[in-house]
Amino acid sequence: MEFFDSLILGFSTAVTPTNLLFCLIGALLGTLIGVLPGIGPTATLAILLPITFFLPPLAALIMLAGIFYGAQYGGSTTAILVNLPGEASSVVTALDGYQMAKQGRAGAALAIAALGSFFAGTVATIGLAIAGPTLAGFALSFGPAEYFSLTIFGLLCATVLASGSVIKAIGMIGIGLLLGWVGTDVNSGSERLTFGAVELFDGIEFVVIAVGLFGISEIIVNLESPESRGLIASKITRLWPTREDFRQAWPAVIRGTALGTFLGILPGGGATLSAFSAYTLEKKVSRNPQEFGRGAIQGVAGPEAANNAGAQSSFIPLLTLGIPSNAVMAMLLGAMTIHGITPGPSVMHNQPDLFWGLIASMWIGNLMLLVINLPLIGLWVKLLTVPYRLLYPAILLFCCVGVYSVSNRAFDVALAVGFGFLGYLFRKAKCEPGPLLLGFVLGPLLETNLRRAMLISQGSPSVFIERPISLALLIASAALFVLLLVPAIRKTREDAFVEEEA
Amino acid sequence: MLRFLKTFCIGTLAIGATAGVAHAEWPKDRPIEIVVAFAPGGSTDVMARAMQPFLEKELGAKTVIVNKPGASGEIAYTYLSQAKPDGYTFSFINTPGYLSMQVQRKLRYDPKSIQAVARIVDDPTAYVVKADSPIKSLKDLVDQAKAKPGSVSVGSSGVGTDDHLAMILLGSAAGVSLTHVPFPGAGETRTALLGGHITTGGLNVSEFAAGDLSTIRPLVTFGDKRSPEAPDVPTAKEQGIEVFMSSERGLAARRDVPADIRTKFSAAVKKVVESPEFKEEAKKLALPLAYLSGEEWEQQMPKRLQSFQDIWDKTPWVQ
Repeated sequence: MEFFDSLILGFSTAVTPTNLLFCLIGALLGTLIGVLPGIGPTATLAILLPITFFLPPLAALIMLAGIFYGAQYGGSTTAILVNLPGEASSVVTALDGYQMAKQGRAGAALAIAALGSFFAGTVATIGLAIAGPTLAGFALSFGPAEYFSLTIFGLLCATVLASGSVIKAIGMIGIGLLLGWVGTDVNSGSERLTFGAVELFDGIEFVVIAVGLFGISEIIVNLESPESRGLIASKITRLWPTREDFRQAWPAVIRGTALGTFLGILPGGGATLSAFSAYTLEKKVSRNPQEFGRGAIQGVAGPEAANNAGAQSSFIPLLTLGIPSNAVMAMLLGAMTIHGITPGPSVMHNQPDLFWGLIASMWIGNLMLLVINLPLIGLWVKLLTVPYRLLYPAILLFCCVGVYSVSNRAFDVALAVGFGFLGYLFRKAKCEPGPLLLGFVLGPLLETNLRRAMLISQGSPSVFIERPISLALLIASAALFVLLLVPAIRKTREDAFVEEEA
Repeated sequence: MLRFLKTFCIGTLAIGATAGVAHAEWPKDRPIEIVVAFAPGGSTDVMARAMQPFLEKELGAKTVIVNKPGASGEIAYTYLSQAKPDGYTFSFINTPGYLSMQVQRKLRYDPKSIQAVARIVDDPTAYVVKADSPIKSLKDLVDQAKAKPGSVSVGSSGVGTDDHLAMILLGSAAGVSLTHVPFPGAGETRTALLGGHITTGGLNVSEFAAGDLSTIRPLVTFGDKRSPEAPDVPTAKEQGIEVFMSSERGLAARRDVPADIRTKFSAAVKKVVESPEFKEEAKKLALPLAYLSGEEWEQQMPKRLQSFQDIWDKTPWVQ
């Protein structure tokens, strides 16, 4: 019963007019910055931080949290409409979402993304309330060895991500790993592949590569066809998903939610991994894996649910252990300390109204986002009918602004343009950029954790099989590898490749 | 021709006059840009944003905080060294990184072109362990490292940071071999510590003193005396090992910015640091405030720089 008492306390704190207002402001702002690619929640939070000094602590936190999960909603919109993922977690949404948009099913994709996110947000919030502390404790048992094994698993998933040839997918992962090397090596402090450019000392920003490979190269490809029509070839038939869409999407949403809630708790890369693994899972369990990459609704529903659940559950380590799992959470940690709140095990006991109020506000915020986003779908889809010659300069402008604002330098914009041309060449060679991005994200994780684990074990590789979680993950990876080699599956993959790009 | 000359003269006069009006006296002309060398959300950034309203009030001018992260501050410092010396660009500088990078690599800017304007914080480096760790003191840590060389792993926020330099100094002072495990930041170090994956972790006093101490236990600080923010934690010197390390944060400008502007700015920072309202904010963030004027701060730098040079000559921390 204690749980319900706490929940009632939370809701009674969250529904005061002030808190509701700031929840709405946060959700709106978040949607807005999510739609603008590159202008991420971290920068927005930083700018708004001094303003929150003058707000009551709970209202401030509710607003800041709202910006974060609002951005997760908004980020999918551009990924689906113009193939422009603003964040790592929305890359996979672009794979099938954009194909759906091209087929005139943008409305269905957006609606499923919004509904899936809402469902996932609800479940993850309940999960946070019930099992938060226990789950956070479990996440701590993930040390370098476990992360290494998890990353191996993730990299194997990356090959499944591609809808084309396996060889090309592996090649793209390799390029991604290579790009991940650029920068200062965390373990030794030495520079790698920086060519003496000080801008490359910290490696290449994810947004730079994503905007270049997806956004800019898409513009080049679209400009090849001289028509001045909108992005969509076929007529937009309906805005709402069909009954068949729902039937296919809901199991994907449930699986994505479960995966996202769990992986989101893991500090560092958890939320990104959750979207990628949800996509892989959907493709594996689907009876028609060849549909993926060509507008499969499960390919939107699963990852969208997963990244929203992951965003929600990344609050768990912050609220229960005082550990920020990503830059946004670090910002929130800063905001909390400024307001004299100490995130950690004691918050729940000392300031239950704050802890439960924030959790309840997340659910309310998710509801608000659904209410904001569903009516907007019609408007967004109309955007696609704008003649492309008017649309693309705007997209290009947002790409540049977004890339520039990551670390306020023009170098990154030039780099993104370079990646745009590279991405165009990849398209001509029928190589997909998805696996490259996953390699880029996972490569550094793999390397640093391998070396960290070996440092701690003093050079003994047995640490990877002695630790049970690590062992389990390695066994799962081996199983996945075998599955990849099973001829039947390989055959369907090759069939898919032959039919590809008809 | 005469007519042309006349128009020309009037024109130039007019331009001259308007230009005179447009350039108000410092700092009223335009917002002052304050560069933070790290990404939003880091401790320097949070401190800068906490100070911003107070500093604006004291200066009677608007300020803009601009994040120029990268290359442990070099990008921001290079930017500062290339800014106009008109008193509208300042940057936060953080030691030991600001000094140690001068030792460890060839820089893209001339460190002599930058002058410290005011030190704000002197944040001692500390080592913490998990609350249930059998290690109770610095001596226990050293004893374990002696008994099983390499078995003590020290998490740090990266190669060449204060945590790492303190570890090198500790290793040579106590004659033990410690295993360095670098992480990208203090958050990751803390996570690994709580999960029991590393023996001890390097955090600064401000990174744990305001936080929850039910899960971690500070072992030692490397300040020259006990920190008022963590009065219960003994220093290394008290525990018989003379190792000193701290991370200082302050503001700097180009050396050729007019001296009166630097002095005015420094005085404004001093007033902010001493104001009860800001002290209240700083207390919540556990910021060990330690104002020094630019000149006083710069006097200390050569000695520290030399000590880093000595460490580097013996054990270069970047291979």
